[in-house]
Amino acid sequence: MTDCVRYAPMIDARAGELSPEERAGLEAHLAGCAGCRARAAAQRVVAGLLSEALLAQANRRDFGPFVDGVMARIERRRAPRGVLARLRAAVVHHPRITFGAALAPVLAALAILVYVRTTHDEVARVLELNSEGVDMVVQTSDGPLVLMGAEDDPEGT
Amino acid sequence: MEADDLALVARARSGDDEAFRALVVRYQRKVYAVALGIVKDADSAWDVAQEAFVRVHEHLGDFKGESAFSTWVFRIATHLGIDAVRRERVALKDDVDEVREADLGDAGEGILGTGLGSDPQAATLRRELLGKIQGALETLPEKHRTILVLREIEGLSYEELAERLGIHKGTVMSRLFHARKKMQAALREYAEIAPQDGRDDGDESE
Repeated sequence: MTDCVRYAPMIDARAGELSPEERAGLEAHLAGCAGCRARAAAQRVVAGLLSEALLAQANRRDFGPFVDGVMARIERRRAPRGVLARLRAAVVHHPRITFGAALAPVLAALAILVYVRTTHDEVARVLELNSEGVDMVVQTSDGPLVLMGAEDDPEGT
Repeated sequence: MEADDLALVARARSGDDEAFRALVVRYQRKVYAVALGIVKDADSAWDVAQEAFVRVHEHLGDFKGESAFSTWVFRIATHLGIDAVRRERVALKDDVDEVREADLGDAGEGILGTGLGSDPQAATLRRELLGKIQGALETLPEKHRTILVLREIEGLSYEELAERLGIHKGTVMSRLFHARKKMQAALREYAEIAPQDGRDDGDESE
């Protein structure tokens, strides 16, 4: 019986699944063991039944809606959930629009910066005083403006 | 078929939904059959089979073509089916893989002593049995159902079963032995009850 414990599980083996030694041992054991020959015969009787039965059940079922169900699940997985997820999805699916929308405030900020700097420079020029001599000349955007000194005040005080 | 599968996969990978749908339709029944064998329940099997294809779609970019596409999708379905069952699993005390002396009782005489044993292709009896297979399969523990389904429907070899299930080849053989023994015991009950169609009761195989 000890040999049966070893060889009975091998009865199920297909060609090439046992080593030459295992195959030879199994053949020799089957030749001398009626019990294991009966086991092998019983396996042949039910061989293929399981596969046939399950596939028959599958064939009886209506698979019309199956693939549509799969595609619906895929679509549900694609639809983003949550604000951050939708934002991420927008970036991924509409990169140009997203890039443009992100660039707009940057450009606006740059424009404001340039404007402010430009205006500031003009103001600075206005305040640049030429104190050489008595008269004071103020440079403005419209040109130099001469400020007359107190000595030059026609009214005098 | 395999070359055609690869062409469809390539198209599906680039966003062709019709190519992906063609792959689903090609393998849906067999994937469902695999799932049904493992999870037992028809609605659960439907769910597992659909989810398997969703996972396939999500990971199309990962498929390198080293194995057949069918092998890949069956592997995913198997794992999902096992996960579904193990969420409800009750461990059985006698759920061992090792083959012992006590397991060798009833050397197949049960099935051979029935009408099926004398004429396995007898249409009526075979039809009766096919209808009972599901019931017989449901009596098996999950690991026995799984290995039988992978062996019978996917046709995996001992080596492939060992790799898929993460067990040694010796364990594959002993687990299959136990699974078949239990299936035969369950089927014997149905075979003995089934009508003999006027067959001579004395006509039994050895």
